[in-house]
Amino acid sequence: MTSVSLPPSLIQTLPGSVYTDPGVFVREQERIFEAMWFAVARSSELSSPGQFVTKQVGRENVIIVRGRDGALRAFLNVCRHRGARLCQEESGQVRRNIQCMYHAWTYGLDGALVAAPNLTKMQDIDRSEYGLVNVHLREWLGYAWVCLADDPPSFEDEVIGAADERLGGADVIGGWQVEELVVGRRITYDVKANWKLIIENFMECYHCATIHPELTEMLPEFAQGNAAQMFVGHGAVFAEDAKGFTVDGSEGQQNIPGVDADHDRRYYAITVKPTVFINLVPDHVIFHRMFPMSADRTVVECDWLYLPSVVESQADLSRSVELFDLVNRQDFAACEATQPGMSSRAYAGGGVLVPSEHHINEFHAWVQARLA
Amino acid sequence: MIKVCAVADLPEGEAFRLELEVPIAVFNVAGEFFAIDDTCTHQDASLADGFVEDDCTVECPLHASCFDLRTGKPNGPPAKEPVRTHSVVVEDGTIFVVRD
Repeated sequence: MTSVSLPPSLIQTLPGSVYTDPGVFVREQERIFEAMWFAVARSSELSSPGQFVTKQVGRENVIIVRGRDGALRAFLNVCRHRGARLCQEESGQVRRNIQCMYHAWTYGLDGALVAAPNLTKMQDIDRSEYGLVNVHLREWLGYAWVCLADDPPSFEDEVIGAADERLGGADVIGGWQVEELVVGRRITYDVKANWKLIIENFMECYHCATIHPELTEMLPEFAQGNAAQMFVGHGAVFAEDAKGFTVDGSEGQQNIPGVDADHDRRYYAITVKPTVFINLVPDHVIFHRMFPMSADRTVVECDWLYLPSVVESQADLSRSVELFDLVNRQDFAACEATQPGMSSRAYAGGGVLVPSEHHINEFHAWVQARLA
Repeated sequence: MIKVCAVADLPEGEAFRLELEVPIAVFNVAGEFFAIDDTCTHQDASLADGFVEDDCTVECPLHASCFDLRTGKPNGPPAKEPVRTHSVVVEDGTIFVVRD
């Protein structure tokens, strides 16, 4: 960044090209999305053997599939023979194996090469050498997290550690029993903006009073512009007259029993770099997973998670879901309004961060260090 | 008689491939043993790599034709021709195939 003389209130942002340059995006795919732990799917979506989803992770397409032994596994979605994409759909169910549509090379749900035409006549082929390329997978909070690196970073440090750090203690997040919760609603947003704009938006609340009237009504301190993410262990307190975290302040759902009195009637927010945001309120958890598709397009899958009894009783979740769905739409509209400006000469040198946004500077330094 | 393997080495639902000039596959279906020619009559695939079904058939791993292990007949396309069946003898805990 060029060092212009800025008043102490302001800090320089990244230059606009970092949000538009396809070359930068490829480096981010390689050094961030393919190098770090990336949350891909809710484990419960893949409940029976042979159920799969395919997801874009960095430059790769990845299959996540439930094995006959009940374990989840992840593989690159590429046939080892001639490279055809194996699973063409975004989700589905195979009966017993994953078979290539081109020459019928056939892989077990554990990735092993099971069969191929004339394979028995090619006795020099070691089937274990020609199985699917394995991708590291961990499950946490009821999600499958994959890492495409040969030697993944510590999941405990980078993923669990991020939540512990924000909430100010080891396994504070355990109170929300996230792995036991059930998806009450999922909404997928196709956002025409760079993934970093979405992260930056999530990290600050300077915009809250302007674009989030309903959220600010619910969390009055947000009008001051200080995001929950600026602090450790701080949850924004609900408005006194709000009965629950809903679009109109009406009653929410049954509280998650593990949430203690200190964490009741508060809103917590966590970023697990590079692509996960988690919001915690007493009766539900909002779990965002971003899938950066190109320099100017990001798909965001957002789950609203509730106690199983709440979802089973077919409770009306609409007011509960509507609050953050509205927040998401407001935020993504702002990100989409920002994206075109990134390629303007007005923003060639970047913009500025005000004090309540200064912590975004750490994110910028982190991105630059990863790409250096 | 061709020796296959010990009974203990062929668990239920599994298959053993005999590497002969014309390979033979031996299956254990609920404790009963069956032997058929190993190669699918549709395209060259090993039926020993297939899936044993409860109805005493094996499904070819490539194109899902099911062969009846008792008669060798396929239950449907793409395979049209049956595979040969062979007799199985168990003596002193060892499985043998008698080529028919």
